Amino acid sequence: MLQAVARPAPSRTPFVELRDSPMLREPLRLQGEYRREADGSLVRQVDAPYRETTTLSAGEAVVQRDGRTPRRIALAQVPELAAVQAGFGALLAGDRALLEKTYTVSAEGAREAWTLRLVPRDPKLAAALRHIDLHGRGAELRCVENQPAKGPPQLTLMAGAAAAAAGVNDAAKLASLCRDGHR
Amino acid sequence: MSAAAPRGVARAALLLAWLALLALAAWTLGRHLRMEEDLRSFLPAPRTPAQVLLMDELGEGPGSRVLLLALSGAEPEVLAGRSQALRAQLAAQPSVAQVANGDHAGLDAIPGHLRPYRYLLSPTLDTQPLDAAFLHDELQQRVQDLGSPAADLVEPLLPSDPTLETLRLAEQWQPANAPERRHGVWFDRAGAQALLLVQTRAAGFDSAGQQQAVAAIRETFDATGSAADGVKLEISGPGAFAVAIRDRTEREMGWIGTADTLGLLLLLGLAYRRWSMPLLGALPLASGGLAGLGAVALLSGGGVHGITIAFGFTLIGVAQDYPIHFFSHLRPGQSPRDSVRALWPTLVTGVVATCIAYATFLFSGVEGLRQLAVFTIAGLAVAAACTRWLLPRLVTPARHDPADSRLLARLWQRVERLPRPRLALAVAGLLAAVVVAFAPGAFWQNDLSRLTPVPPADLQRDAQLRAELGAPDVRYLLAVQGGDADAALAASERLLPRLRQLQADGVLDGYDLAARYLPAAATQRTRQQALPDEAQLRATLAEALAGTPFREDAFEPYVEDVAAAREAAPLGVADLAGTPLELAVSGLLLRGDDHATALVSLTGLHDPQALAAAVAPLGAQLLDLKQASESLVAQWRMRLLGALAVAALLLAATVWLALRTPRRMLRVLAPMALATVLIVAVLRLCGVELNLFHLVSLILAAGLGLDYALFFDHAGDDRADQLRTLHALIVCSLTTLLVFSLLALSSIPVLRAIGSTVALGVLFNFVLALLVARRPAREVAP
Repeated sequence: MLQAVARPAPSRTPFVELRDSPMLREPLRLQGEYRREADGSLVRQVDAPYRETTTLSAGEAVVQRDGRTPRRIALAQVPELAAVQAGFGALLAGDRALLEKTYTVSAEGAREAWTLRLVPRDPKLAAALRHIDLHGRGAELRCVENQPAKGPPQLTLMAGAAAAAAGVNDAAKLASLCRDGHR
Repeated sequence: MSAAAPRGVARAALLLAWLALLALAAWTLGRHLRMEEDLRSFLPAPRTPAQVLLMDELGEGPGSRVLLLALSGAEPEVLAGRSQALRAQLAAQPSVAQVANGDHAGLDAIPGHLRPYRYLLSPTLDTQPLDAAFLHDELQQRVQDLGSPAADLVEPLLPSDPTLETLRLAEQWQPANAPERRHGVWFDRAGAQALLLVQTRAAGFDSAGQQQAVAAIRETFDATGSAADGVKLEISGPGAFAVAIRDRTEREMGWIGTADTLGLLLLLGLAYRRWSMPLLGALPLASGGLAGLGAVALLSGGGVHGITIAFGFTLIGVAQDYPIHFFSHLRPGQSPRDSVRALWPTLVTGVVATCIAYATFLFSGVEGLRQLAVFTIAGLAVAAACTRWLLPRLVTPARHDPADSRLLARLWQRVERLPRPRLALAVAGLLAAVVVAFAPGAFWQNDLSRLTPVPPADLQRDAQLRAELGAPDVRYLLAVQGGDADAALAASERLLPRLRQLQADGVLDGYDLAARYLPAAATQRTRQQALPDEAQLRATLAEALAGTPFREDAFEPYVEDVAAAREAAPLGVADLAGTPLELAVSGLLLRGDDHATALVSLTGLHDPQALAAAVAPLGAQLLDLKQASESLVAQWRMRLLGALAVAALLLAATVWLALRTPRRMLRVLAPMALATVLIVAVLRLCGVELNLFHLVSLILAAGLGLDYALFFDHAGDDRADQLRTLHALIVCSLTTLLVFSLLALSSIPVLRAIGSTVALGVLFNFVLALLVARRPAREVAP
């Protein structure tokens, strides 16, 4: 399954992400794309409702926002960012070693509709992040579901699921799209 | 026989009483004597600001108390875990003041009760008014933050801090070159070693305290893991070096002491063929040492400096010769008391002349030298008195006379045939003086650190760890004074624009100052006045929230925090007690009784002159701690040399009074003076730069030389007495030569300096006294 999902770089996948917080009147709906560049770096580009590009490479995250100087953050200082790179970044790159070093990986479902559950090995990361569920169909990674230690899960719909989510704003519907009928 | 038995009992009783007294004195001193290791009491009063600061640094300075720890030899996860365990356990150790490993940096640097102060501590609002446009822009940023993968990190802060001032402060407080954190703790750039900083309670020069701290660290390290995990611990820093050199000195002193004891037993056994002599011969010196310690302790309220003890025992080493002179003059048919009485005038001349000479140290104005004078005068007087009045009661009459030795007789015949080369010696002295004056290389060694050298590999390792941990330059510092802590903080704040410019110009890589963590009260008040009141802030916030997805009531805690900041009294040094900021601020802000000094530590200083010139108009001074310590040492030496010049005059006068003719005085003093010049010439020819230990050893050598010359001059009226004197002087010089030649073999520069100087001194003084001071044949002839 891991080999099936891996893509040769460069590759790109659109995503739709829903983010809720008690401070917000309604959940934040982000649209954009994830890219794997030829040099191996992982780029998360948000196109709406604002533009922001985050490049994860070589132990560093560079965050670019419109009209501002890029901000550089050492991944070692923000384990949450490192978790993204070691999570589906590693999955897309087919870097099984990195994935299994960071997480305990368990698989479920059939080739047509599968779920990979990643449980952090590092107790500090585990204190913030309970697990990540990766949902997919065949060779397509369709949704990343982050379950933080506290609060509701955060969803990132990708590829076909992102396309299907166009115009959908209902949280429950998006969740159902993400899980593709599972769980 | 019947008369001998009670005398034997009396002797045994006296010996036991003496030993008991010594034991009692040693026990009392051991209980009440306080060994001072504070270099400040031994050096002269500081004059320049750099010297004053050096004294503060030596005493309470944070730089000397920092130990650098590196864990290596296992996977990073294992090292990080060990680092955390070590940090937790060390924090509970009494010898450790503070331990840091990079964990709990960031947000936790700002304790909850200080958070409302963020608007007084952060410079953001100095240049940026808190208006709707600024706030709106910040809120837009926060939306993006919530949409980022790091949202969970930021979200809890937002209600009270929409401008993320807390994070800005935490970022600002990070050391400029803080090590990278992996698995939550500091690592070196290669990721192979976990790094920790430990600040000890004991000062850096307090090698006993440092030894405790280092031992505690090692024990804790062993307790937090098993040897099987392969983790290795390295400790570096001034304290660790002090402990290493102390251990090495103790080890070397161990074998040197053993070799000395065996050699002395053998020598004295051969010389006197009586087992009791080595034991009895040690009693005057032991009594003198204890008396010296006791006298210093009495006069200085119980505290004796470690250097006083080291220098003092070196100087009273001359007292070891007193019993030897006595033993060599024992002979059958004469009571020991008569023997010592015949010897006493010569012996007491040497003792009194030396004591008067040392008395000049009392007026040197340096506490350490005063202690040294008290120690040596009390020690020598007591040792001489013991030899005069106690020892003769313990010694049984001799069974044979050293004067009967045929070997000695032949030797004396040769000695009598020796020439008295006046011209040759004068030329030799002149040549030596020329060598002393013109030999290449520095005359004095002022660098204190050269006395306790750290192996180059360790120094390199220390520099490497220091760079990884972003630790500041240990030699240069900026200092700026103020009437109190706040004035000093304000004065240092005025340096900031200049420092930023210099950093941009590449004069230095970075700097740190207390005002970075705690701005002056005036600055805090200015910031306070710039904060809007509640109604104003609510209006601004409402305007800023328009067009953002945030709820209108999302930032209530923020409004409360700003109101609290408007009312708060400016934060002072005392408010930081118990927070992680306390350490950072206290290290960079030295508070005296009537003034305070703000320090600016420097990283990567490329051009000290340019920096000094740029900050001088602002009242700041570039301090060169190395230069300051060297000038202090030079000052100490000048005082000592001054005291010695007076001492030499007094000594000559005393000898003149005792010997009554200038001619004899010259004969006694010339060998000692010539020997001193020769020793210095040889040392200079060998490329040795003289330090304080050489100087003290030269004084001891001169004292020995004086005794040799006095005894050669006053060798007695008959031939047998002359032979006994020759015997005594040979045994004296051989024992001293043995002890100090072994010291000269040591790898520790201090021991080597003392050993080589005194060994040379014994050789030169003996030979010269023999050539110059021995009584002319016509005066001896009956």
